[in-house]
Amino acid sequence: MNQSDILTVGNLNVSYGESKVLFDIEMGVKPGHVVACVGRNGAGKSTLLKSIAGFLKNVSGTIAFDGASLLGMMAYDVAKLGIKYIPQDKKVFSDLTVRENLELGSYATKDYNWEQVTDYFPKLKALMDRKAGFLSGGERQMLMIGRAILGNPKILLIDEPTEGLAPSIVAHLRDVFKELSKKTALVIVEQNLPLVCAISEKIYAIKEGRIVKELVGEKISASICEGYL
Amino acid sequence: MDTQLLASGVIFGLSIGSIYFLMAIGLSLCFGLMRIISLDQLFYYAVGAYITYTISVYSGSVWLGALGGMIVAAVCAFAVERFIFLRIYERDIAFTMITSFGILIGGVGIIKAIWGLAPRPVLMPIMTQWTILGTEVPVYRLIVILIAALVYGLIWVFLNKTIIGKAIRAGIESVEHVEGLGINVYRLFTITFIIAGTLSGLAGGLHAPLIMVDPNMGLEVMPFIFMVVIIGGLGSIKGTLISALIVGQVFSIGALIYAPLAQMAPFAIMLLILLIKPTGLYGSKLLKR
Amino acid sequence: MNTFRWWRGILLAFFLLAIIRVFLPLPFSNEIIIFSIYVMGCSFLLGRVGFISFGQPAYLATGAYATAFYLFYFGANPFIGILIGVVAGLVMSLIVGPLFVRLRSDYFALVNLALAVIFYYTMQKVLAPITQGDNGLWFLANMTSTPIIDITRPKEFFTFAFLAALAIWALFKYLNDTLYGACALASKVNEDKVQFLGYSNFKIRFFGFIVANVTTAFAGSLYAIYLGFVSPEITSAHRCADPVVVTILGGVGTLYGPLVGAIAFTGMKDLIAGLIGNWELFIGFLLVFIMLAGEKGIWGSLEPQLKKVFSGKRV
Repeated sequence: MNQSDILTVGNLNVSYGESKVLFDIEMGVKPGHVVACVGRNGAGKSTLLKSIAGFLKNVSGTIAFDGASLLGMMAYDVAKLGIKYIPQDKKVFSDLTVRENLELGSYATKDYNWEQVTDYFPKLKALMDRKAGFLSGGERQMLMIGRAILGNPKILLIDEPTEGLAPSIVAHLRDVFKELSKKTALVIVEQNLPLVCAISEKIYAIKEGRIVKELVGEKISASICEGYL
Repeated sequence: MDTQLLASGVIFGLSIGSIYFLMAIGLSLCFGLMRIISLDQLFYYAVGAYITYTISVYSGSVWLGALGGMIVAAVCAFAVERFIFLRIYERDIAFTMITSFGILIGGVGIIKAIWGLAPRPVLMPIMTQWTILGTEVPVYRLIVILIAALVYGLIWVFLNKTIIGKAIRAGIESVEHVEGLGINVYRLFTITFIIAGTLSGLAGGLHAPLIMVDPNMGLEVMPFIFMVVIIGGLGSIKGTLISALIVGQVFSIGALIYAPLAQMAPFAIMLLILLIKPTGLYGSKLLKR
Repeated sequence: MNTFRWWRGILLAFFLLAIIRVFLPLPFSNEIIIFSIYVMGCSFLLGRVGFISFGQPAYLATGAYATAFYLFYFGANPFIGILIGVVAGLVMSLIVGPLFVRLRSDYFALVNLALAVIFYYTMQKVLAPITQGDNGLWFLANMTSTPIIDITRPKEFFTFAFLAALAIWALFKYLNDTLYGACALASKVNEDKVQFLGYSNFKIRFFGFIVANVTTAFAGSLYAIYLGFVSPEITSAHRCADPVVVTILGGVGTLYGPLVGAIAFTGMKDLIAGLIGNWELFIGFLLVFIMLAGEKGIWGSLEPQLKKVFSGKRV
């Protein structure tokens, strides 16, 4: 508890045009911690990640990273600071090969050390020259995480990483997240409660755009979280 | 129809198609990456043609003129992108379309103010004719075809072998994901826009000796360029090439069969293709992001 | 009281138009009134249905040529000519509508442009024996005077066009207030959700397309009667974007926009062409400026101000 938060969100309000989606969100993420957001579809979890990553315009409140405000920054500048957003749509650049996908990640961050990626996902090594459009769902997710961890990001914002994936791949991702959290803070939006409860240090339950419950450390249990789904 | 007529018709069609292709490729890239329909490309086309005219009058060289036209068109495109498009990329497609139309109309006004209303002739740089299959073919038209083929090759290399090109191809699929990796997408937009403007200027410069240069030339060629883009499918490079070739051939062969067909047949084909495939030959179901 | 309220805006707009008629020469007023009917169709398409069309001249020419064919070859009664023009517009929209409205809005704009170009070449070259090509059909002398209101005379033509414009205005205002108007607006904003509610986007758009283009064809017929001749120039590619420009000038989706835009456009064109002879430069930059300044157009920017003034007086 003596460590200070690397990312703080305070009094965050977000709206799409006329309709307001997030109300007075407060959250903090410590370095190397895994923070999860749970809640029903449409509760505003993805909106929260997108607004931190700089993709939304109608945002008020404070979002601070290492003491500097992220509000109003372009999404690519946020990414350059080391906050990478991995959307839920599993859209890799399907017309490009796996190698080219990774090249783009390297181009943005000037980090050409691909061994860290292939260490986590050895499977990608054999797929380097395949068009990303021909990858399976799990391989796509690996590629998306792989190209995001280039440049050693400080925070990864991951939106529903295990949605629609086979159990064996989910287990693999779980190990990867544990491993990743040794050097990177993770903010994960997820419906898979057992996974979430196993890896997170903190869980926020979001309902209708508000944080209704904050669980820390030992208090985390799947049965409590279930009440907010 | 005898082979002589057909051969000259095919070469004529190829050269027209080449010029349409040079213009349409920029439009197609702009649509693919930025989701804008940049009608102002037609202004850069006219600028390219007029600069070619002026330089060729003073220096006597059309090639130098076309080069100058490309450079000036690129500068114009850069200025317009900086001062206008950068503010409106986020808006919907109708909005950018109307704004770019305003730029086009304003540009016609600028051209009228500088060069006047009268159409100007540009002399053909190479008067030589070669005999191919028993028919006389102007070498200039062959060079135009060659240049277009060269441009296609360069664009292909640029998009497939350079990292900026790869980023542009990735952006055509999803700009948000490119941005999420930390790549400055607005710089990609600027680069793409300048490439489009440059190619439009080149098209204007190459087209100038084949037609009369006049202030409304952009508006006159507009329907044909859009036809090429629509048949090929907005956002597809390969589709643009194929449809430019189709339109060029239909245009010239149609004219051989029955003169009024030249202008109408391509449009009829376009309507037919849209009836079968509403997004054009190679167009994807890309929607406004 | 409610009915009065409903009509108030329209009456006010037309009161202004009547004043214009008093102060400005008749040809100018006639031009404005026909032009604003023409633009109303385009404005409805863009503002309500969300479709931008660069091919409105095609529908304008449909009405104009149908009227012209009748008056040149067959009959002499201008009213029947107008009727035939409107029916031709309806037939045209019924034929191309189902194909066009399922396209995405960007393709829609360009396909309409293509239609206008096809129409141009058909009239200029392919049907030249019938349409007399670039010379056009002249039938001013063929038209007979009609009882009650003789629209072959410019003065009475103005009265007729004026009343017609009033009626079309009322129709569009009525449409905007009905369930249809709400559906059209909804389908413009979010087509998926309209479908979830159980309405068909296709039907909504098709109906809007027909209404807008029949109006446009009607304007074409009026042009034909008023000028007494029709030539392919009416659908040339140079004129293709005029209605869109005017719609934007007036303000998209506002009911009085077309009128204000038509006055401004026709006026500026005449004035600037007379003064510096280079109206494109001016119009072009004005258009860009309006778009960058918030897309509201002349009327859209004026409306809140006027409302303030008038409501202040009433209270």
